[in-house]
This record gives sequence, C-alpha cells and structure tokens, in this order.
Amino acid sequence: MHAQEATGPRHGMRIGHGNGGRLAYLGFGLAAAGVATILLVHWMVAFWVPTEAAQGVVQRIFYIHVPAAWACFLAVTVAGLASAAYLWLEDERGDMAAVAAAEAALVFGAIVLLTGPLWGRIAWGAYWDWGELRLTLTLLLWFSFLGYFLIRGSVADARKGKRFAAVVAIIGVLSIPLNHVSVVWFRSLHPEPVVFNPEGPSLPGEMLATLLTSLAGFMMLFLGLFTICYVIENHSRRRYRPTQPDSSGALT
Amino acid sequence: MTSLRWIGVIAWKDLRAEFRSGGRIAAMISFSVLACFLFSFSLGSLVAGRDVAAGLLWLTVLLASISGAGRTFDTEEEDGAFRHLLLSPVSRHAIFLGKAAANLVPVALVAAFTLFALTLFFRIAAPGSVALHAAILLPGAIGLAAAGTLFGLISRHSSLGDSLLPALTFPALVPLVFFGATASSRVFLDRPWAEISGPARLLWGIAIGVVAVGALLFRYLTDD
Repeated sequence: MHAQEATGPRHGMRIGHGNGGRLAYLGFGLAAAGVATILLVHWMVAFWVPTEAAQGVVQRIFYIHVPAAWACFLAVTVAGLASAAYLWLEDERGDMAAVAAAEAALVFGAIVLLTGPLWGRIAWGAYWDWGELRLTLTLLLWFSFLGYFLIRGSVADARKGKRFAAVVAIIGVLSIPLNHVSVVWFRSLHPEPVVFNPEGPSLPGEMLATLLTSLAGFMMLFLGLFTICYVIENHSRRRYRPTQPDSSGALT
Repeated sequence: MTSLRWIGVIAWKDLRAEFRSGGRIAAMISFSVLACFLFSFSLGSLVAGRDVAAGLLWLTVLLASISGAGRTFDTEEEDGAFRHLLLSPVSRHAIFLGKAAANLVPVALVAAFTLFALTLFFRIAAPGSVALHAAILLPGAIGLAAAGTLFGLISRHSSLGDSLLPALTFPALVPLVFFGATASSRVFLDRPWAEISGPARLLWGIAIGVVAVGALLFRYLTDD
C-alpha cells in the first residue's frame, strides 16, 4: 500500500490523486471563477452601474464591502457549525472544515474592516466610530477568530487545542445575530439592510444586478478558498502524522 | 443528590477555599480600588465624574474579573483535585454552574467596591439609586463570572497563560459591557426606569445566554 494512504486520517480523503486531487482542482476552479467575477464587478462598478444620488461615488465601495461581509459571516457560520459537529461527532473532518472556514473568515473579515473605514472616511468624516455597535462587533468577531488560531497553537495537547478552539468558534458565531439586528434595534449611522429587509430589496435594478454579481463572485471565492484550505489542512495532517508500525513491527 | 444541591456544594467548597486563602479576592478588590484612584488622579480635573463613571465602572470590573478568572482552577489543578471532581458522579453542567456561582461572589464584591470607590474618588454627590445599580451590575457580574469560568479553564491549558484571556474574553463580553455601561450611565444621571429597562433587559438576556452556553460547552472542555 502507498505510504500516504496507509497513514491518512481515519475519515480523510486522499491528496494528490482521487478525491483529494479532484477537490483541489474544484477549489482552484471556484477560486479562479470567483476572482474573474470580482474583476468583472470592478468593471461594472467603474463603468456600468449609476452613481447613487445621496452618497455619490463613494457608495460604489458597497459592491465590495457588503458581499465581503456576507462571505465573512458565511465563513464564521460554517466554522461554528463545523466546530459543533467536531465536538459532537469527534470527526476530524469537522475540525478541518472549521479551520478552513476560520481562515476564510479572517481574510474576508479583513476586507470588510478595510473597506468599511474607507467608505466611512467620506460618508461620516471619520474612519471609525466606536459608538457604532456593528463596526465594533465585526472587529471583535475578527479578533475572536484570531483567538481561535492563538488557542490552537498554544495548547500542548493537540486534541484539547482543537476542542478549545471549537468552543471559541461556536461563541464567535453567536455574535452574528446581534451584529445583524444592531443597525435596526439601536440608533446607528450604519446604513440599514437594503436587500434582506421585510419589504424586499430596495435597490434599483442595475445596482441590485451588480451587487448580486459581486455576491456570486465572493461566494465562489469563499468556496474555492475553503476547499483549497481544507485540502491543504488534510494533506498536512497526513504528512505530519506519526507513522504507525504494522503487524511485523516495521514502520509504514 | 439533585443537580441544584451539587451546584451549591461545589460553590460552597470553592468559596470556603477562596476565603481561606483570600489572595485572589483581595488582589481583585485592590486592583479595582487602585484603578479607580488612578482614574480620578488622571481624569478628575478634566471631566465630570457622573459623565464617565459608568464607563470606568464597567471597564474596571471587566479587567478585575478577567485578572482573577485565570486563577479559578489553579489550586485544584495543581494538586489534582479538579481531575477527581471530574471523575465524581456530578454532571459537568453542575460543576460549571457551581464554579461560576463561586466566581460570582468575588466579581460582585469587586463591582460593589468599584462603585463605592468611583463615587468617593470622583466626589459624585448623587450617584443614583443603589438598588438600580445593583439591578444592572448583578447580570453583568453573572455574565462575567460565567465567561471567566469558561475561558479561565481554556487559558489554564495554554502556554500563553493569562495573556490569552483578554483575546478570548473581550470579544465575547463587549456586548455585556456595552449595554451595562449604557444602563449604568442612565442610573448615574438619574434617568427614569423606562430609559434604563431596555439595556437592563438585554443585559439579563446576555447574562443568561452566557451561562447557558458555558454550561453546554463546559463538558467539551473537560472531556479527556
């Protein structure tokens, strides 16, 4: 038997060939399609979509900021659910999926936290307003996922580290509902939802089309990055897993 | 023995050990009183006490409770008593709730001393109703005690130790501090209950949520 196959995790997939190889190709394909779609969105934002009357040209950052925020929250939700599955079922795939989603959450969260202040500088006259609950909660969510990786790397017992990190991810996901309602329940300068509101989307057709195209691009990019990170995580665990002696005592 | 009884037994055991040693509670209270003194020393001439008291109150209670949380399991872990507690036929929920209840006492004491120290050092003549302050600080102390118990166990096993605690607890506790400071500032400014009840209800909701999540997840932190 091939050494890598013999030392692979119980529920893992093969890397470099078979399912793992197909997954890696799927991940790269999705990520490439996502990047291409986001480039198309940049063209639409620059040359096609009309300028919003109230905010002017700065509103165009919305087509990157909002889909990145949705991708971030999706990544956080996947990390929380996968962590719960890991704790409940003790299946390594849950932990690998949680790690992959948490890495994506950090990336998309960084995009949200960079583009938001750029918009705020023009719209509010300040990069940041600490009185804005949504801004603060998003920053703290990002930090809690930084804590997710800190705790994984700082516990000597790897299994305990995974469990502790899973608990941190589950607690992180619980802040998403509060984040969503924060601009509705509390006085806030942050714009209220224009797509997911009880009256339906309130955007003109071209703006909505640009937003949905961008959303599709970011979702493909998220799925692509998630798949690639999952495959890499699986591969690294197989690679660094201690070899086991076979029945004759020889190391495989 | 019922779970409620076990919670009481564990809380009473921890509290007796806490008061016998006395070190952690004294350190937490000293920290909070000294922090209030430093706040008044650095801010006293610049701002009106009633305007900033609520923020300073919650900040001090948060920092003091986090500084004490890292020591929650120290004594028991060092002599192996915690392992024996886990081997006993007590549910993990009861162990968590008992330890969180024991943690509540030092946090509540810190909150009371901090409120008193701030009123004294900032010379706040009319700090608002004590009963209303208690109604706001109690859910805050419950949430801080429960979160401190959960994250204290995590940091105990980390090579980063107590330096990891703020990175883990602050993101989870900021909503608690946000609504707590909002409600307390309205109490300090003698606003009517109608203006205080909204954040106070949210505070209770968050505190109950933190306790429930902690009781649910504690099992997964202690399974070997």
